[in-house]
Amino acid sequence: MKPSLIGRLFLFVGVVVLIFVCMFPFLWMALSSIKPVGELYRVPPSWLPEHATLANFWNVLFESNIPRYFLNSTVISLGSTGVALLLAIFASYGLARFRFRGKGLAQAFILLGQLLPTAAIIVPLFVTLRILGLVNSYLGLILVYTIITLPLSVWMLTSYFRAIPVELEEAAIIDGATRLGILFRITLPLSAPGLVAIVVYAFVTTWNEFLFALVLAQDYRVKTLPIGIAEFTTEFNTDWGSVMAASLIMTVPIAVLFMAMQKMFVGGLTAGAVKG
Amino acid sequence: MSSRYTGLWFVLPAIIVLGMLIVYPVAYTGILSVTDSAGNYVGMKNFERILRSRVTSQAVWNTAYYVLGSIVAQITLGTLVGILLNQKFPGRGIVRSMTLIPWVIPGIVAATTWAWMFHTEFGIINYMITSAGIVDQPVGWLTDRNMVMPALIAINVWKLFPFVAIMVLAGLQTVPEELYESARVDGATFWQEAWHVMIPQIRPVLVSITLLLLIWGLNAITIIYAITKGGPANRTLIIPIQIFRIAFESFQLNQAAALSVMFFAFTIVFVIIYIKVFATAPEERG
Repeated sequence: MKPSLIGRLFLFVGVVVLIFVCMFPFLWMALSSIKPVGELYRVPPSWLPEHATLANFWNVLFESNIPRYFLNSTVISLGSTGVALLLAIFASYGLARFRFRGKGLAQAFILLGQLLPTAAIIVPLFVTLRILGLVNSYLGLILVYTIITLPLSVWMLTSYFRAIPVELEEAAIIDGATRLGILFRITLPLSAPGLVAIVVYAFVTTWNEFLFALVLAQDYRVKTLPIGIAEFTTEFNTDWGSVMAASLIMTVPIAVLFMAMQKMFVGGLTAGAVKG
Repeated sequence: MSSRYTGLWFVLPAIIVLGMLIVYPVAYTGILSVTDSAGNYVGMKNFERILRSRVTSQAVWNTAYYVLGSIVAQITLGTLVGILLNQKFPGRGIVRSMTLIPWVIPGIVAATTWAWMFHTEFGIINYMITSAGIVDQPVGWLTDRNMVMPALIAINVWKLFPFVAIMVLAGLQTVPEELYESARVDGATFWQEAWHVMIPQIRPVLVSITLLLLIWGLNAITIIYAITKGGPANRTLIIPIQIFRIAFESFQLNQAAALSVMFFAFTIVFVIIYIKVFATAPEERG
């Protein structure tokens, strides 16, 4: 059925508005990052930079802590993604394939972790980490980020594992394979999209997280990028050109990751939700 | 065959890590909330202090305004965009990817970029609306007491409506073609079709998303903290920021714990009621 002319007009306008709304802030960030100071603070503003410059990037890369924070963010995000993935694989497999006493409780408990308001546990978490000597350490942040991403990871992966036919595994059991052998040789390879979804989700969540980093990383050796960007703003003055350049630098790895994994990620993410 | 406990062994490592870093802190918050800074039991004194403070009622109101305002707009806009993205048009795949951009961009980046766009003097938004003649004077989006909350809600909506749209889109793709066909045979217009065929089909998805948005909204601190830190005149002070301030600016860990306990209890009760009213228990869904 061909849509009517009015219908197509609606569609066209809707799509154009949608693209504009989604893309414009990103474009404006990129354009602002290559404008010299004189052009940033001018009324009326220039749409396109008249004298494009890399001065803001130079400032961010060589005269700020951003490169170090970039390294910190990378280490912490990779670390916590790895830990969360490993824990989630085992937990999800246990929940998807076995019956055992307390299973419902375990499941509810893991889900509760997702419902927990992070602001409500930040104070005791801070105290706990201080007692353990893990404030201002990579390990402390990696563990903390693991608990943020683990619940949803387990939830997504459990529904993925359940969708894989049990018969495949039963055949392997008859052939004498161990449970771990089955998990790593049969179940995991079949769940690649789900695993990708979890890796992207955990990495991005950690990379972007702000509140825990604000409280638990108070030293430049462990501070992450979101804190670095917030540091450009003081009460009286913001170096907007540098903020935009740093924002762009922070966004690039995430954008690349998403573009590369987009199809798999959206598939894995929505697999659990659609069943409702 | 595996023994009765094999499953438990698989789940145990995750449970231990979560227990260490969630159960223990939660229990510890409870203890902190009824003691003073020297560790002496003081009963409900911390709670009283928090509840008496005039800032608290303002924070509660601000939080409700921010969370509910955001959710209504996110769900409405997200559903419309999801329906839009489900239509057939050239370049649909690229448009779908572009729609995800606000969601993919880190929260802090969205916050700073929008703060720059909302800048009273040099912001592009004021330039656009003044030069188009919509307003005469530049609007103080982030400094005017009555504009700042709507502006922050707009940023939050921009950040999360793509998530709703993608979920709605995924839900719509499972709607059987026959349902549309029978609606068309009955002569339904597009909007009737949307209301009577699509919305009922994606209702379960909307219910779960609303719950997620609610939890995220109650946790959301990045955008507000990065832009206004709760100001001007506490107009954007939400409870998470209040907890943060009491704990790490006034160093009243016990009072912060009392507020955390109330906030946590409220969230849990709210979530349970929501699940009971709108959805089946999550563990039954798998």
